Amino acid sequence: MFLALRELKHSKLRYFLIGAIMMLIAWLVFLLSGLANGLSSDNGSALKYMNADSVVFQKDVRLFLHRSILPMEKVDDITEITGVNNAAPLGQLTVTSENINDSSQIDATILAIDPKSFLAPKIIDGIGLDEADSNSIVVNDSFKRHGVEIGDKLKITPSEKEFTVVGFTTRQTYNHLPVIFMHIPQWQELKFALPGSNANIENPISGIAVQVSDDALLEEVNTEIEKTITDVEVATRQVALENLPGYKEEMGTITMMLVFLFIIASFVIAVFLYVITLQKTNQFGVLKAIGAKNSFLAKNLIGQVFILSVFSIFIGVLLTYGVAAIIPPEVPFSLDTSLVVIYSFVLLAVSLLGSLLSLRRIAKIDALEAIGRAD
Amino acid sequence: MIKLQMDNISKVYGKGNTSVLALDSVSLQVKAGEFVAIVGPSGSGKTTFLSIAGALLQPTEGRILIDEKDISNLSPAKLAAFRLKNLGFILQSSNLVPYLTAKDQLLLITEMAGTRNKEANVKAIHLLESLGLKERINHYPESLSGGEKQRVAIARALMNDPEIILADEPTASLDSNRGREVVEMLAREVKTRNKAAVMVTHDERMLDVCDRIVRIEDGKIKEIVLSKEDRTLVNI
Ligand SMILES: Nc1ncnc2c1ncn2[C@@H]1O[C@H](COP(=O)(O)OP(=O)(O)OP(=O)(O)O)[C@@H](O)[C@H]1O
Ligand SMILES: [Mg+2]
Repeated sequence: MFLALRELKHSKLRYFLIGAIMMLIAWLVFLLSGLANGLSSDNGSALKYMNADSVVFQKDVRLFLHRSILPMEKVDDITEITGVNNAAPLGQLTVTSENINDSSQIDATILAIDPKSFLAPKIIDGIGLDEADSNSIVVNDSFKRHGVEIGDKLKITPSEKEFTVVGFTTRQTYNHLPVIFMHIPQWQELKFALPGSNANIENPISGIAVQVSDDALLEEVNTEIEKTITDVEVATRQVALENLPGYKEEMGTITMMLVFLFIIASFVIAVFLYVITLQKTNQFGVLKAIGAKNSFLAKNLIGQVFILSVFSIFIGVLLTYGVAAIIPPEVPFSLDTSLVVIYSFVLLAVSLLGSLLSLRRIAKIDALEAIGRAD
Repeated sequence: MIKLQMDNISKVYGKGNTSVLALDSVSLQVKAGEFVAIVGPSGSGKTTFLSIAGALLQPTEGRILIDEKDISNLSPAKLAAFRLKNLGFILQSSNLVPYLTAKDQLLLITEMAGTRNKEANVKAIHLLESLGLKERINHYPESLSGGEKQRVAIARALMNDPEIILADEPTASLDSNRGREVVEMLAREVKTRNKAAVMVTHDERMLDVCDRIVRIEDGKIKEIVLSKEDRTLVNI
């Protein structure tokens, strides 16, 4: 590190430039990862943070909750299966709601639940679904941004039915839409308003959320459910989430951008260091002539890259959290600290990888090149 | 005591009919406290000779002993360690590291050898002072004159207390007054510290400072001139 530190100190501008590029790349990586996480939550946080291990769908509906119809009685059948700890019914419907105070319209996803089940949402304001009041609803806190308050009435179009907001929950979105939690019978009236739309099933629901008693046996229990219960398909919560419309495409695009950023980071470092190394060929020759070993020179180069990267990544992290603090809440952005840590290490690894080309070049320089030369 | 002994050294570059015989069975001995100059026309093999004496290049044939140790068959990694411990180099104009101060140039030697400590620091300052660089200890090469740079290079070559100092045209980038000053300082250090030194030079005006002058032509030693006390021509 003797040479590394002194060179960084002496050639400040040169290394500031490369540091700045790395810092910007790191910043972009973290912003994208925040966006990916935000979008993933925005798309299906109701599923992502759902207190369930698996979701049971009707067979052959490609795990789409909006196309799945199951009879309510299957909830009890599934609860019977060994390994299943608990099961709860779930209804889903995408609607437009209208605040009757000001006629403003809010698109939303209705999730119908049994208020006594484990699917009951966490309440941050007001009360949970009122068992005495079948027209009570609990909505995601993003409704507040549209001026909705506790006690307000929402009309679900086109049914003209009105519901009363009794509480707010948080981080509950589905298909990028805020969730309205509702009693199952009221949801059934909305969803199956047209005669025959219930496919002749008594007391229909969309799917069944399952909790298993032992996470390690999740796959086995899922297979068991599919074997025992007719006409169902079971997906883990993660698979169900990934299967939301658009989810894979969104995540795929961002993942591709991240991968490219890592490759770009590696190349930028590699090219920059290589050019510097070529410039210093004669100097390395002199150092080797006076007895520098390859390992000594390699340590110094790696040391430089390490110091530079750690510094740039650290500033990138600071800037990212700075942005996170001022970003408006409607933007789907949420930082996952563990991901930030992981990507920091990936960036560090990638920039060290970029120094390989230069290390090879340094190893090849012959001390003889320094002798008999005046440049 | 003989510090450098080269016996029948030959060097062939390349193979087959494109091969070049750069050195043809050359022998030379240099004693402690002796300052030898090597002169000769371009392409005669001076740099090749110095590279072999400096353990940078292995001879095709012959034996080379530095401080009575045979280095003809050492591996490249061992040679690097050997150079670091036993040899001092003064190269042409650009041989200082641009981002190190004069003192750090010297400390780098001890850093590479893993012996950097307070004493090394004191030693570096003493060496620079003895070469008249007291005011330049914390200067970077960019703010040193050509002559000062070469004096730093001399100090650096002495930092590891080498057996032999090898200089490859150390005055090439200096005017003759500065050049002479540098060579005289080198000669003085060689005498007072009782080192052996070999210098390749084109500049005939420096030769009276040296103890012996070896003329190489076409890869062979043509003549050895003893300077100062005895200026008789010795033909070989
Ligand atoms: N790496 C090499 N490969 C092939 N031939 C070489 C190589 N290095 C030197 N030679 C040849 O060996 C001979 C001696 O070269 P050397 O560099 O030792 O001469 P020199 O006396 O130092 O010349 P100058 O005064 O011009 O520096 C020359 O004919 C040169 O072309
Ligand atoms: Mg030469």
